[in-house]
Amino acid sequence: MNVIKYPDILLDSLENGHMIIDENYTVSYWNRWLAINTQIDKEDIIGKNLEDFYPDINYKVLHRKIKTALTIGTPTFYDTNSSKKFISINRNKVTTSSLQLMQQQVTISPYIISENKVMISIYDISELFETKLLIKKEMNKVNKLNEKLEAEKEIIDKNIMIMKTSVNGIIKDVSSFFCDSFNIDRDEILGQNISIFKLDDVSDVIYKELWTTIKNKKSWNGELKYITSKGQAKWFQSRVMPILDIHGEVHEFNAVYHDITNEKLLAELYITDSLTKLYNRAHFDETINLIVKNQRKADSEFILVLVDIDNFKVINDTYGHQVGDEALISVANTLKSSLRDNDLVARWGGEEFVIMLKDTTINEAKVIVEKIRANIENSIINNDIKLTASFGFTKYILGEDSKEIFKRVDDALYEAKEAGRNRAVLK
Amino acid sequence: MNLQFNEDQIDALREFMNVSIGAATASMANLLDAFGTMHIPKIEICNSDELADKIQNSIDIRSMYFVIKQLFTGKFGGECMFVISEDSSINLGRHLYDIENPSFDEVNDAVIELTNILTSTIVSRLTQELNTQVQFFVPSLQFLDAASIVSEEDVGEYSKIIIISTILDFKDKQIKGNVYILTKDEAIASLRGLIDRKIEEIYG
Repeated sequence: MNVIKYPDILLDSLENGHMIIDENYTVSYWNRWLAINTQIDKEDIIGKNLEDFYPDINYKVLHRKIKTALTIGTPTFYDTNSSKKFISINRNKVTTSSLQLMQQQVTISPYIISENKVMISIYDISELFETKLLIKKEMNKVNKLNEKLEAEKEIIDKNIMIMKTSVNGIIKDVSSFFCDSFNIDRDEILGQNISIFKLDDVSDVIYKELWTTIKNKKSWNGELKYITSKGQAKWFQSRVMPILDIHGEVHEFNAVYHDITNEKLLAELYITDSLTKLYNRAHFDETINLIVKNQRKADSEFILVLVDIDNFKVINDTYGHQVGDEALISVANTLKSSLRDNDLVARWGGEEFVIMLKDTTINEAKVIVEKIRANIENSIINNDIKLTASFGFTKYILGEDSKEIFKRVDDALYEAKEAGRNRAVLK
Repeated sequence: MNLQFNEDQIDALREFMNVSIGAATASMANLLDAFGTMHIPKIEICNSDELADKIQNSIDIRSMYFVIKQLFTGKFGGECMFVISEDSSINLGRHLYDIENPSFDEVNDAVIELTNILTSTIVSRLTQELNTQVQFFVPSLQFLDAASIVSEEDVGEYSKIIIISTILDFKDKQIKGNVYILTKDEAIASLRGLIDRKIEEIYG
């Protein structure tokens, strides 16, 4: 068996400090690393008491640790994170200043138990400790940022309607505010198709335009009408954005919605006749004036129809105003159901209604007006009251103003009345 | 790898642990001038993902804890963990430093010192019984809430764990702590081998 002949040389060559002391702290060994780092030569300290050189060490604690090591026969340790240093050793590192003194790992190992001697080993763990401090500092920054992000995420989640869908329209995530607005549980809608919110009365043209835009990797802005879980229709100002993956392909869609239902209702109230629910005169005026002003040929191909309920005063006087109102509502419904979606019908005032038949020839108008006249004639109010109406209609002539066409249609209506009512006159 | 223990092996381990715990109690009385009791150790073999729950079930989850972990290696290797509440730790600091208001550093050092004595005595004695030797590593200390003591992700790579646990109680000083000796997979197999050898040695 090989025996190490020069243990002194071995201990001197180690890159950490080693001293041997007894339970009275008398130093019997002091290696080169300690001599260099403490500037105390072994000749000056060996045989002397450690207390004379380092009075600040807590000797009560050291004594207990020495006793532990000697009694149990295993090493004991100091806390490596402690700000108190076993012995103070300055650090000469210039590039960082976080540690002025060497951070030490101190181990007290039993050396010669019969002589109550222990070896105190000191390891320089400053670099490791500095890294730990740096990680802690960075972690604090990350935690603060995370807290901020979480808080902001919560604000967004609770105050903004957001939906994420797959490229196929499968709902992947929604914000809490979205769920609140739609009276729906998040778990209920995840995995479903966005079409569950679609309303039948909304034109497919809008959805087609939306899909074409976003599939072409562009954002779409517009108004969408959706239905909530309680069957309530709501309007949303919507922005739908495609999210691209690293290859530039659409990966998912994000949509942000803003509920504009109230604004929409107010706007509708503003242009709606409260009794018949048809558009009011102001809205019709605005529309026709815009057409007249712009003089676009595509908009100018229309027939104007003026409708007047025959002998309405007699109905009012005979059956009362309530039945009179029912008659107005009935005629309004007949008009609406007899017309196409893109025609415009409004209550003109009293028992008069006005219709704009868009993209219509005179011959087509004749058929439509006759159909409406017949429908009114065939309708029954309050179980036994029959109604008729007179019609004047005319084609808009490009370049004329609204007064001119209204004068002509008014004349036509007058002629229909004069000719015995329940008829239509074209001018 | 067979990680199951038979009844004889468990009995033997329990007996070695009783001896070790007795030695630890004596060491503490001798070295720290603290006369406490330690409960009869509980030995459990469980899946690694159960460890967090088992520890949380044995402590008050409302407290903050000093958690000291010390590794030991050899034919029988593992980790000793001492979990002591903030209040108990301060009382320990008061006792060992003999001052009313010990600093955070002093409390840390007191906790490390107690852990050192506990783990060194228990593990040294246990390995002495098993005729083997171990090497101890520097203990690490953390100040954590109950939920953060063991993260399930951290132990996810092991399959089985042996938990040997006991409670240390210095009633007159109001100091109480939980000791866990944890060992895993290969070390469990190795421990079983050592126990078998010892049983063979005793009973022939």
